[in-house]
Amino acid sequence: MRRHLFLTVLAIFLLFLGACSSGSDKETAGKKESTGDWKPEGPIEIVAPAGAGGGWDTTARMTAQVLNEEGMIKENIGVVNKSGGGGAVGWAYVAGFEGNPHKLFVSSPPIVLIPLNGQSEYGHEDFTPLSNLIADYAAFAVREDAKWDNLNELFEDMKKDPESITVVGASAPGSMDHIQFVQIAKAAGVDIKKIKYVSDQEGGALTQLLNGSVDVYSTGVAETVEQVKAGKIKVLGVTSEERLEGEVLEDFPTAIEQGIDETFINWRGFFGPADMDPAAVDFYEKKFKELSDSDAFAEIRDQFGWDEMYLNNEEYKQFLNEQKKDIKSLLDELGISAN
Amino acid sequence: MGSIDGIVTGFQTAFSMEGILFVMIGVLVGTFIGMLPGLGPISAIAVMIPVTFGMDPTSALIMMAGVYYGAVFGGSTSSILLNAPGISGTVATAFDGYPMAQQGKAGKALAIAAIASFTGGTVSVIMLMLLAPALSSIAVSFGPPAYFALMVLGLTAISSLSEGSTIKALISAVVGFMVVTIGIDAQTGTQRFTFGNPNLLEGLDFLVIALGLFALAEVCTLVLNRKDTSVKNAHKIGSIKLSKKDLHEMKGPITRQSLLGFILGVLPGAGATIASFIAYISEKRLSKNPEEFGKGSIKGLAAPETANNAATSGAFVPLLSLGIPGSGTTAVLLGAFLVLGVQPGPLLMTDRPEIFWGIIASMYIGNIFLLILNLPLIPYIAKILKIPRPLLISLVIMFSMIGVYAISFNTFDLYMLLLFGVIGFLMRLFSFPAPPFILAFILGGMLEQSFRQSLTISNGSLSIFITNPISLMLLLLALLSFIIPLLRQLWLRKARKTN
Amino acid sequence: MFKNINQRVSVVLLIIACVYLFLSYQIPPYAYTEVEADVVPKTLGWLLVLLSVFLFFSKDTETNEQKARRSISGSEIGVLIAVFGFILVYILFLEKVGFMIMTALFIFFCSWFLGYKKYFTNMTVSIVFSISMYFMFVKLLRISLPQGILPF
Repeated sequence: MRRHLFLTVLAIFLLFLGACSSGSDKETAGKKESTGDWKPEGPIEIVAPAGAGGGWDTTARMTAQVLNEEGMIKENIGVVNKSGGGGAVGWAYVAGFEGNPHKLFVSSPPIVLIPLNGQSEYGHEDFTPLSNLIADYAAFAVREDAKWDNLNELFEDMKKDPESITVVGASAPGSMDHIQFVQIAKAAGVDIKKIKYVSDQEGGALTQLLNGSVDVYSTGVAETVEQVKAGKIKVLGVTSEERLEGEVLEDFPTAIEQGIDETFINWRGFFGPADMDPAAVDFYEKKFKELSDSDAFAEIRDQFGWDEMYLNNEEYKQFLNEQKKDIKSLLDELGISAN
Repeated sequence: MGSIDGIVTGFQTAFSMEGILFVMIGVLVGTFIGMLPGLGPISAIAVMIPVTFGMDPTSALIMMAGVYYGAVFGGSTSSILLNAPGISGTVATAFDGYPMAQQGKAGKALAIAAIASFTGGTVSVIMLMLLAPALSSIAVSFGPPAYFALMVLGLTAISSLSEGSTIKALISAVVGFMVVTIGIDAQTGTQRFTFGNPNLLEGLDFLVIALGLFALAEVCTLVLNRKDTSVKNAHKIGSIKLSKKDLHEMKGPITRQSLLGFILGVLPGAGATIASFIAYISEKRLSKNPEEFGKGSIKGLAAPETANNAATSGAFVPLLSLGIPGSGTTAVLLGAFLVLGVQPGPLLMTDRPEIFWGIIASMYIGNIFLLILNLPLIPYIAKILKIPRPLLISLVIMFSMIGVYAISFNTFDLYMLLLFGVIGFLMRLFSFPAPPFILAFILGGMLEQSFRQSLTISNGSLSIFITNPISLMLLLLALLSFIIPLLRQLWLRKARKTN
Repeated sequence: MFKNINQRVSVVLLIIACVYLFLSYQIPPYAYTEVEADVVPKTLGWLLVLLSVFLFFSKDTETNEQKARRSISGSEIGVLIAVFGFILVYILFLEKVGFMIMTALFIFFCSWFLGYKKYFTNMTVSIVFSISMYFMFVKLLRISLPQGILPF
């Protein structure tokens, strides 16, 4: 919970700092001419398709700050919040600026998940993926006194008696907290149709785990640290490729080392509207690479516990298509895919 | 009792020059922002976070806590003077506070609210100090079945919120419940009644409903009565002095609701709101003259004001001792802790006793400041009512607009506000009471979700509501509060016949 | 046939209930839940049907005070509609023209329309209110409001 909230707060702070300046950057629509060398012709707007706080907003503000402060992009970069519909309102807003190279937005797995759930008419195919920057991971926690000590014991019991085990997460079925658990469970051979999942969006998921109403908590790694330190819960597995670094974090076993060959990445990167000038795509690709390699951004990654995961335009597109295929097959098997 | 050392350290921290200074700044800023339209404790805490950078964590957190309860304290003003509740915890305050102000007793109403808030706040700080460690287990003891039962108990209030016709009150509540089903369903991710409009996916915000049904509907009435000279009283502010009789009348509700409000505040979830509604109806049931409620009753104003402030202190129990934020507001407050490098949680009390106990001890001072600060200001604040009618109407409309726009920066919400203003006015014309609507809107969402969470956990067996002792107890209470008034009515009818 | 006011209202409610129920029955099923997403809406819809039927046959008559609330003259209804029209115009142009100008215009014209004749006071209040609100939110609290066509 700690990092998450830290992000929230930092983001709120930055929002207020940014609020004064962002008012002035009215749209200066870029002309669409493909010269080999492209440069921004006015202020750039990064849309965070969520309210102040949370991962998207923070990533957007941190990125804008470093790009400007380190002088990688001279033009003023403003962050605009367009919240609603789990991102759908923000995506619809950006989709209206087809070809405009001065409107970017930040996104993560929901841009794959939400269209598949039928809650947004725009998906990643309707935008130009520029670069991915960071990765974050999921963790599955149980009460300290629970009878399971690793993922395999838990999944064995889920195979034997699926009705007796309830999983809780903060998002609706078909979104992140649900899918990340389903994906790992499926790799372990659990019948995913029998998984009992409840969603608690009022922030009570952890409470439900602690008071014994539910058995497993599917969440982000950062949310578990403090309760593990206090000896209230234990983390059975995280979804990263290798063990994470840092106090407490390094003790969390990965699913892979427990013989479950599956990962789940909460990636975060930047997109532009459809039909962007290829020269502009080149420009952003280079700048984001420069950003990703910079010391200033490395510091921010450490501070928030994010991993580095740079993908350029081509790699990103491919990665997203694979993600979509994987998740769609999961949703199809569950029978909750919308298309 | 190793915590006695801690308490002593806490008092030393809070009563130092620095401690006192920052409590003062905190509550001052908090009340001020709380009085602004549409800005509640969340905004108050959020705007103060940047100020705390680089400050000593203890002083900073003492200040932030002050901002929080200060904003709750100040929030009742717009409810009482303009019938425009800014946060859900002050909806019930408007039921009797606004009529009282309309009768030319605005000064008295604000004074009662201030004293009730002060007492509720102080009593619950005492309990917080004595019981925080022990109560932390209660905070997590409520699972979905218990929440379901609590919501049911809250909904039994509907019948007492009616003005005459019970059927109309029930209809109003059902429609309010219907409105809250709009949006993505949390348990299945299905869209309900969104018509494919992305603006509706997350449902309608509380402020849109509350300001529409209360403030804008009131504006309509004000427009119609703008030339009516018989309502001249509404311009009067009256004395802020309370008579002995007034104080005597407040004593009961304040004592009871301080305790009840605190206990309900400890529960993560809709603490302050549920506390204020339950306070209102329980006092109405206990009262010898229930017909006075809704028409400017002192008890009806004192009860919810005590309870929502008591609940605010109660909310510090899960936050400080477990690191669990029970509401959106405490989540932002938790963020304020983290910025300063303090992690609230089970280890806070032993690792950083000066912070844990310092915050609690500072609340005594904070509440006293709030009272000293607010009482002399009342005559000035109440002058709002002296503004000529046409101008006041325009200003109330603008206040509501700003409040709603500041939630999402989306004009769609403003159209919805207008729509609910019309609905609220029509409801008045046809004598459908608005309080059951808003109550069902607040509780309905949690009622449905906890009901379905419970049944998923129990694999569809309804017995989960009876086997869980807390839920069983609350359901029985709900049943009693439903049956007793019925029996009383029957009894009265019988008595009348035999006479 | 619907002489009683309760009966007329209940017919309107019945129509609302039917539309709501119709939409409730369109909610798609979901395979993994004990209680479907449409259970609560359906219950609410039928409950409203039942309650409006009760209202139709209910005997409770209105008090005179309640009846008096509805005796509004045609011109007063016109005034109300005009005020709502002002609000609509305000919302339509808020983001294009900006908060300060729209708010000042709204307060001035709405108050004037409702019979406030002190032009000078009215103008002062509307300008001072909108400017002070804007600066308090934007500069002091750092909450951005639409700036519109003004350069600050």
